[in-house]
Amino acid sequence: MSEVIELPSYKEQSDEVRARFTEIYKRPIKLEVKGVSKSFTTAKGTVDVLSPINFNVHRREFISVIGPSGCGKSTLIRMLAGLETTSGGTFLLDGEEASGPGADRGMVFQGYTLFPWLTVKKNVMFGLEVNGRSGSAVEQEALQWIDLVGLSHAVEKYPSQLSGGMKQRVAIARSLANQPQILFMDEPFGALDPHTRCQMQAHLLQIWKNVDVTIMFVTHDLDEAIYLSDRILVLKANPGEIHEFLEVPVPRPRSDDQLLSPEFLATKQRLEELIHPKNHAEEHQLPMVRMTSTSDEVE
Amino acid sequence: MTKNKKPKAQRHPWFAVRKDLDAKRRLLLSVFSFIMPLAIWCLVSYTPFIWHPDIKLQISADRSDVTTVFTAGDHLSKTYFPTFVEAIQKDNNLVLAAREAGELGNGGSRARRANVKIIRQISSPAIANGWLTKEEAEEDEALYMIWKGVAEGSLEGKKVKFSEENVAIAQRNWALMSAKSPTYDSKLMPDQPLQKLVPQGRLANPVYLPAPHEVVVKGLEDFTFTSDGDKPSMFERYKHSLKIVFMGFLMAALVGVPLGVLCGTFDFFSKLFEPFIDFFRYMPAPAFSTLLVAIFAAHDAPKIALVFVGTFFQLVLVVSNTTRQLETSLLEAAQTLGAKNMTLIRRVIIPGITPNLFNDLRILLGWAWTWLVIAELIGVKSGLTEFLETQGRWRNFDSVFPIIILIGVTGFTTDQFLASLRKYLFPWTPEASEKKHGIFGRFAFWLLDRKVYESPVNGKV
Repeated sequence: MSEVIELPSYKEQSDEVRARFTEIYKRPIKLEVKGVSKSFTTAKGTVDVLSPINFNVHRREFISVIGPSGCGKSTLIRMLAGLETTSGGTFLLDGEEASGPGADRGMVFQGYTLFPWLTVKKNVMFGLEVNGRSGSAVEQEALQWIDLVGLSHAVEKYPSQLSGGMKQRVAIARSLANQPQILFMDEPFGALDPHTRCQMQAHLLQIWKNVDVTIMFVTHDLDEAIYLSDRILVLKANPGEIHEFLEVPVPRPRSDDQLLSPEFLATKQRLEELIHPKNHAEEHQLPMVRMTSTSDEVE
Repeated sequence: MTKNKKPKAQRHPWFAVRKDLDAKRRLLLSVFSFIMPLAIWCLVSYTPFIWHPDIKLQISADRSDVTTVFTAGDHLSKTYFPTFVEAIQKDNNLVLAAREAGELGNGGSRARRANVKIIRQISSPAIANGWLTKEEAEEDEALYMIWKGVAEGSLEGKKVKFSEENVAIAQRNWALMSAKSPTYDSKLMPDQPLQKLVPQGRLANPVYLPAPHEVVVKGLEDFTFTSDGDKPSMFERYKHSLKIVFMGFLMAALVGVPLGVLCGTFDFFSKLFEPFIDFFRYMPAPAFSTLLVAIFAAHDAPKIALVFVGTFFQLVLVVSNTTRQLETSLLEAAQTLGAKNMTLIRRVIIPGITPNLFNDLRILLGWAWTWLVIAELIGVKSGLTEFLETQGRWRNFDSVFPIIILIGVTGFTTDQFLASLRKYLFPWTPEASEKKHGIFGRFAFWLLDRKVYESPVNGKV
């Protein structure tokens, strides 16, 4: 048996972190979710995907939403972005009720959603142009956003010529160009390889620091959630509801070194408990399949 | 030891499941796919022991007391030909028997006419051998001299070689003819009946399968035929047919594409139009032909309308389906960027579907071509089809094949041309970056690429 390391409680916060949260809660509320729920009516009856939930997001906060598959985390964020209808409740953006998709709420998707027929520059200009702007100012602005995500060398390339990471950086630039109140990100790095994913996470924090934007980030990667967020909204499945809305005790600025810090590990342990409750019994019920050779035991 | 032998690059075997062959092999097979049917056609046409159930007459003769007349060029079945030959030989034997019995002809006008007919019998082998032109077929002076040539052995014939039997007949006839007059004189004809040339022929395939060279020769002849005011030239017919196809297709596309896009975009229009269109497309377009003639009267309008009816309904459904296949996430992304209904259609849906729409239209242009022949038959027959129909009725199948091939070649080249345009029209699509040039693509590239014009030798640019 290996030695079990005693971790501090994830609720223990250093003074620095506590001060930061106090400061965050003083900021105005950007998004207020009041009893938003989602249910589908099928032939067999009504299925509740998401029970009515309530929470607030403050200005320039970084919120992650995690939960087991089927907990409705994507549905929640899509409803907030206006891409799906709510079955009940309302949500206020800057105190005003919002409905339908709009330029005030940006969204970055998991799949690559760049317009394949437009170059990188035109993709970024898209949002500005459909909102009625034109002229060389738009182009200049687009180039600045592309510069921000570090793709100045690829402005005239088509999406098909870019790697997955580059595509997502363009997608981020495209969303930010509209200067949305809040940016929803639905597992944006899910399709990337681990190395690129790490780079993108650091990059996203950098962008978030430089741009006045509030971010709600859906993921199923615990490390990613802890590394990026101020607070993590943990959902549970069947029906989806808030399990816990926990404050990440890891101080900012974040770096890779913190991945093994006690606060980080404590938070991760707590998230594991919430999302993957230990069930040893189940594990032992699995049938054992023996191949012809049993000489090389792996455990 | 071999020095520095370069290791050979591996390549897939000819038969590898779901693997592309290399470029050379692909080209080879593509060329072969055209050569193969041609080769089979040649094989069947030029190998006498394969098939060839018919005899194509080179020399024909009229049987006495039989009204059915065969002329040179007609096809007879292999089994019937000997009976035909025997009938003529029997006629000849009677003539010979009468002559030996000393029955001299009375020199009446009837016998004379029969003799003129026999003299003219030699014209078809004479034309085939190039001794006469087609226009000279009834010039008796020339025919008279050909009889002399055949009888004396100075004319033998390369294409149609006279059988020994026929040479003997020619000699006997010429003896009677020359006794009266050495050159043709309509008043100095033999009084006795002459002997008929015995039918000769060569093995041939049925009339509906002319040999390749016959098709080529006839095709060139038909295509170079210039209009004489009454009948249009082949080029005019071709232009007319093209006009029918493209007008019908263009109108179907002009109405159908916007409708299809609307149906694919809004469920409202989809449910409003598509059920009926789906029903309507099962009614065959030709079934409307008489109706269309009644509505649009004669000439081109009902023909164009038929191509339209045949294409439009398919087009709407195909386009709406293509529109629906545009990834929803692109639309959602555009919506989160602030795009609303009309902007979505204009800036996302239309550019998003154009590459696939282009392919759809290519396929539907092929559909339009299939309606051409029926369209041109309704009302007043016109264009290529009128020619096709007339020649087919006369069983001139060597004239029919060039037209069929012309239509095929036109459709195929248009399609290939449009396919190779794709990568220039849509540079963002994956196949554009693969740098696959079609035949026309390479040609266009060669035209557009300025470097080609710069001489590499003295080219200090």
